[in-house]
Amino acid sequence: MTQGRTLTFNIFRYDPQEANDKPKMVQYQIAETPGMTVFIALNKLREEQDTSLQFDFVCRAGICGSCAMVINGFPTLACRTLTAKYPKGEITLMPLPGFELIGDLSVNTGKFMRELAERLQLWLHPKSDDIDVHRLEDPMDPEEAARLYELERCVECGVCVSACATKQMRDTFVGAVGMMKIARFEMDSRDGRTAEDFYHVIGNQDGVFGCMTLLGCQDNCPKDLPHMQQIAYLRRKMAMTLV
Amino acid sequence: MANNPSPAKVDLIASAVKGFSHPIWAARADRLQSASGVLLGLFIIMHLHFESSILLGKETFYRVVQLLEGGMFNSTGHGYPIVTKVFSVFILLVVITHAVVALRRFPAQIGQWHALRGHLKGIRHKDTHAWFWQLITGFILFFLVPVHLFTMILNPEIGPNLSAERVYLDNVWVLYALLLPAVVVHALIGLYRVAIKWGLVSQRKVLRQVVKVLIVYLLCLGIASLVAYILIGTELTIPVQPFSPH
Ligand code: HEM
Ligand code: SF4
Ligand code: FES
Repeated sequence: MTQGRTLTFNIFRYDPQEANDKPKMVQYQIAETPGMTVFIALNKLREEQDTSLQFDFVCRAGICGSCAMVINGFPTLACRTLTAKYPKGEITLMPLPGFELIGDLSVNTGKFMRELAERLQLWLHPKSDDIDVHRLEDPMDPEEAARLYELERCVECGVCVSACATKQMRDTFVGAVGMMKIARFEMDSRDGRTAEDFYHVIGNQDGVFGCMTLLGCQDNCPKDLPHMQQIAYLRRKMAMTLV
Repeated sequence: MANNPSPAKVDLIASAVKGFSHPIWAARADRLQSASGVLLGLFIIMHLHFESSILLGKETFYRVVQLLEGGMFNSTGHGYPIVTKVFSVFILLVVITHAVVALRRFPAQIGQWHALRGHLKGIRHKDTHAWFWQLITGFILFFLVPVHLFTMILNPEIGPNLSAERVYLDNVWVLYALLLPAVVVHALIGLYRVAIKWGLVSQRKVLRQVVKVLIVYLLCLGIASLVAYILIGTELTIPVQPFSPH
């Protein structure tokens, strides 16, 4: 049924490197093929119609997180979005807001994620008596491992940052991805940081108390991470620290 | 005795001066915002029910008012309007507390407002739009709620005829017609958000349905009672006599 349709793409075009370029929307037509994703369509467009079109992808399987963009008003992964989802055959593509624009649909999420990791210290801080690299690690309770793994699934696509009005209004807000990663280390029994240590990082207006529970993160995350539950957990935990 | 403040006192003053910038206030403000919001939200649900007892007749409304004004402590069964006065002052204090902590959430800079407008236009997300309406209604309430509360503090006579006189002859129905939708929408989206943000409810879909039904129900209740007061108002003879039960 989807075969034989002609799709219309409205794509945001702008190259900040070019002095005279202005942001604009450009329309493209393309024949739909069975099982077509937005990612496949973009590659075809670039191959057949406009070689200057910029967008990112690596894995084309929802694993690397590079291909996130705003598709008809929903920030999500292009490689996991079937064109068949759109009965009218009209698809508007915008770059993720809130990130440095590299060009067209390509944004610098990597730079953002790196700065966030440095700011929030998003790596394991072993307990002080646990720095002997020759000692065997204690086995981890499988349930704990499963809980950590659930949060480890984040692909750092940046969707939750773009979907959050709080983050868009307040640049210094850590956003959902930062809080999910804090929650991940807070749960990890190998991490030596106490609730007070975490309070100093996210117990403020830029952290969990700045979150207004708009839940754009929860509703758009392509990996279905449990933001609502985890942020509420952090909020309760932090509200009970330093009472 | 020496007037030198003890080191402990100096510490205390220093921390008071540093004041609300201390990170502990981030947690306190968040708790205070939710607590004051819940208090006001539960109050408004009860208030709308008490006020709309006029739908069951003048007699019922009269008895509800007498009861709430402390009639059981009076051998004649009559309440004291001072109770309304004092309670209104209390609610005003809660509203002030709530507004002070909630105002932190307002997009105070023009850039933030533009970012919000741009976001609402570019990203389709229901809960964010719901929050936007909470923001707008909160702003409206900031001006309207004090008007209503000051009336109740300065002129707390409540009764089937006296209230109808206020609503119809003094044209206060205009205020109520604006207050009702603003407060119902604001309070119910707010209660939804409190339940979600602290993780009290995990069944978000169900909660959303409940909230929608409650919004419609409370609006109907409020509109029906407002119409009832207006109808009573049209039948009043001047000077208005307070209602007395047979
Ligand atoms: C004086 C006028 C008022 C203003 C300016 C105001 C403003 C606000 C704002 C901006 C929020 C959103 C805060 C956020 O998203 O974090 C909010 C939340 C809330 N408001 Fe109000 N409000 C007012 C009166 C009221 C009244 C009269 C009620 C109840 C009938 C109420 C109940 C709530 C509730 C339950 C919340 C949710 C609290 C939370 O998220 O923790 N508000 N208010
Ligand atoms: S939490 Fe979800 S939306 Fe946010 S960066 Fe990770 S995978 Fe993307
Ligand atoms: S290309 Fe890797 S997630 Fe889409």
